[in-house]
Amino acid sequence: MNNLNSNLNTNLFKKLKRFLLSKSKYNFLNFICFVISISLTFNFLTWIFKSNWKVVTSNLNLYAFGSFPINEQWRPLFWFFILLSITLITIYGPKWNWLRKNLLFGWIGTVPLGIYLLNGGFGLDTVMTRNWGGLTLTILITSCSILFSLPIGILLALCRRSSIFLIQKLSSFYIDVMRAVPLIAVLFFGQLLIPLFLPVGIEIDRVWRAIIAFTLFVSAYIAEDIRGGLQSIPKNQIEAAKSLGLNKFQINIFILIPQALRVALPAITNQLIGLFQNTSLMSILGLMELLGVSRSILANPEFIGQYIEVYIWLASVYWLFCTTMALVSKKLEQKMTINKGF
Amino acid sequence: MSKNKKIFFQIVLMFALLGFTGILINNLIINLTRTDIGFKFNWLIKPASFSLAEHSLPYSPSDSYAWALFIGWINSLKVIISSLILATCIGTLIGFLRVGKNSFFRITTAGFITIVRQTPLLIQLMCWYFVGFLSIRNNTFLNIRNILNISNKGIEFFGLYLSSEFSALLLGLSIFSSAFIAEVIRGGIQSVPLGQWEAYRSLGISEKQGFFKIIIPQALPAFIPGLTSQYLNLAKNSTLAIAVGYSDIYAINDTIINQTGRAIECFIILLFSFLILNLLITKVMGIIDKSIMRSRI
Repeated sequence: MNNLNSNLNTNLFKKLKRFLLSKSKYNFLNFICFVISISLTFNFLTWIFKSNWKVVTSNLNLYAFGSFPINEQWRPLFWFFILLSITLITIYGPKWNWLRKNLLFGWIGTVPLGIYLLNGGFGLDTVMTRNWGGLTLTILITSCSILFSLPIGILLALCRRSSIFLIQKLSSFYIDVMRAVPLIAVLFFGQLLIPLFLPVGIEIDRVWRAIIAFTLFVSAYIAEDIRGGLQSIPKNQIEAAKSLGLNKFQINIFILIPQALRVALPAITNQLIGLFQNTSLMSILGLMELLGVSRSILANPEFIGQYIEVYIWLASVYWLFCTTMALVSKKLEQKMTINKGF
Repeated sequence: MSKNKKIFFQIVLMFALLGFTGILINNLIINLTRTDIGFKFNWLIKPASFSLAEHSLPYSPSDSYAWALFIGWINSLKVIISSLILATCIGTLIGFLRVGKNSFFRITTAGFITIVRQTPLLIQLMCWYFVGFLSIRNNTFLNIRNILNISNKGIEFFGLYLSSEFSALLLGLSIFSSAFIAEVIRGGIQSVPLGQWEAYRSLGISEKQGFFKIIIPQALPAFIPGLTSQYLNLAKNSTLAIAVGYSDIYAINDTIINQTGRAIECFIILLFSFLILNLLITKVMGIIDKSIMRSRI
């Protein structure tokens, strides 16, 4: 027995020795890195379990809704629920034809529904925009800007390819200037300059000014992506459509744009994920979205100095949402491929 | 559309646009006269009367606004160029490891890229500044024989002093951009046809030599457009310096607007300074692209 045991031990030792030394230097390096990374993850996990997450758990309400009135908070919650369900339907839903055709309208419909639920009116109490906040505001700004910037981006891309000199020059000027300016400048001057260009007496709310600025900025980027998609369409598609007797408008709507969107979808998704991340810039300009709320929580003397917990929490929330967006776009891409068809 | 129709359409469009901008400018003038600000640039030569923590050229609060703006532009340029170099080095390394044979590095770099790309830059910057530098206890984090000294006041390396704001911005920007650059590098390497790898292997050229002498030169032209757009993004992202309190061109514009209220003039100045920066980057990248193309022939 003893003999066997020692035999086993020497075998194990030999195996380990062979693994570490004789095979190649890369194996050894791998082993060292593996050990280091395991110990790092272990340290990180122990830190996570040891540190005090009260700054997150006791403020979940604030992170989600900001200073939205407490007895009205079912409204954003209901909107979240609808968004979640439509996301799940898009990713894992059944492949019924009518469902797939109407899914787009469902997505578009969530935005006015969200505005109605947050703003109130028509039977619900009105909530001022300064009480909107947290994740609700982040998602609202993102979804509104997406809804507005996609059609504007498509229009700009078509204008940039237009044969009419003035339209082409103007849209390329707009796109180039917008792409040269940093986003924070667009947002900041959007807050400052939009009121200056409006007639006296008309005022636009801070949240809506932010949405306008985001729309103006993102639509220029989306236009460039769609232009890339348009350029990838072979010329004979247009000739075929012309020979079928379609006019220019029909060619654009039915032939060019769907194909360009399909090609540009990954790039557009990246822009939209960037848009979601960049809503955090509004916290610098004083809007109480997710990061803004966190900054005010960190200024609370009870939680002072707990930066790392808050930032890790925020980073994971943003990561989760961005990954979900990427996943949805991947599903859309699969469903949009020509072979499967509708 | 026939030619006459086109011309007619353009004229109508021009009048519509003129009318629209006319209304906007009219509103602007009304609003400016109402608030008694006006539109002029003569405030640029007045003393700025704010102090800057960081300036590479001599500056005092009695200097003019124009000089303060120029200092800000230099500060921006400083952080952009240094993080551009650092990001390229880190990004190239990560990109190589991402396509390499070593499965451990392949997995860790993939994890790094997703984590960095899917979290906002602003949070990363704040994390570097507030968690990385400002919360260093006992004031010193690392001190190696006075050569490298990392403390809550910044980094000192061979007598070269980098403030904590600059270092946080440099690290945050470089690491954020490096994830994107790594993806560009990976795409470029994967654009080289698989036959090239098989060819050098069948010729008996070693892996290292084949990778650096055969694959990389062919992938270089594919890197350039992606790298250019990433560098432009980096230049634009450097305006987030305001979140960590580094006085770059945008932060100084912000201070001036708070002092004087001249939003439109400052917007124009910012626009032009960024146009110049963008032009600089695209020109330099164009020269690099050309030299690569020439060396290939």
